[in-house]
Amino acid sequence: MGQQLFIFGAAFLGSAVETTEALTIVLAVGLTRGWREPLLGALLAIVLLGLLVLVFGQLIVTTIPEWALKLLVGTLLLLFGLRWLHKAVLRSAGVVAMHDEVRAFQDTVNQLGEAVTRRDWVGFILALKGVFLEGLEVVFIVIAVGGPGHAWTAAITGGLTAAAVVAAAGLAVRKPLARVPENTLKYAVGILLTSLGTFWAAEGMGASWPGDFLSIFALAGIFVVASRLAVTLIRRPAFA
Amino acid sequence: MRFLRAAGRELLGLFVSDWVQSGVIVVILAGGWLAVSRVGAPALVLLVLLLAAQLVWFALAEGRRSARRSPRQFPG
Repeated sequence: MGQQLFIFGAAFLGSAVETTEALTIVLAVGLTRGWREPLLGALLAIVLLGLLVLVFGQLIVTTIPEWALKLLVGTLLLLFGLRWLHKAVLRSAGVVAMHDEVRAFQDTVNQLGEAVTRRDWVGFILALKGVFLEGLEVVFIVIAVGGPGHAWTAAITGGLTAAAVVAAAGLAVRKPLARVPENTLKYAVGILLTSLGTFWAAEGMGASWPGDFLSIFALAGIFVVASRLAVTLIRRPAFA
Repeated sequence: MRFLRAAGRELLGLFVSDWVQSGVIVVILAGGWLAVSRVGAPALVLLVLLLAAQLVWFALAEGRRSARRSPRQFPG
């Protein structure tokens, strides 16, 4: 039960971050060019992403031995999670600018403003491309957290719930979701995915963790301490 | 074609932002695999500490690079 909740939480938070970015693109297109094309583009992208989850999800679970699946997915999850965590540390330390949905929204609006003379399918393609590319990360998160632990239901439910919540919020306010603490979420998801990746990669190597799934919380604690240490060291006045 | 290239770049970019750091992570995991097969569970401690250490190391390195670049970016 604890494992299912953890996987649901990881899939939900990771998907919420990426869905917010996709929503920003769809909103920018919809508000400047009308809603029909961007919604159709977003819908097609969601169908394609769903097919990717079904095809690759089935393929990896039925064809790859469990130890290899854990090692492979654990390694990829670790690379993915550490990448997010690395960026989150740099943002927290002020080295890299915080992600700004309002600015991303304005950039997309400006891009569309330059393309007003083009045909309507520009809005369709832009929404399709934006949702598909941002959605690739959602697909990876859902497959990676759901596959090795055989927790597809929790992972897919987490991803879909996040998409539904973010889409409903975005359509209700008709503005980019600037108040979503995206950088904090990325920090938390980076910790979760890095811990889960380390756990599965080591299990794939044949190791048994003391306390089984509970050891993920200890791993999360270690990565929180390491990342805070990095932020503190970078923020020191003498740092150069 | 451009769309497929963008999708390919996006897919690769999911896992790799710094090739050196990604290489170090893979080397740590390979070493961890070897150590786990010989020593067992105690090797996990070393594996986790090395992964945490590389996170601190590469963040500090990028912080230093950024600190050196910033005077040129914001002259005067």
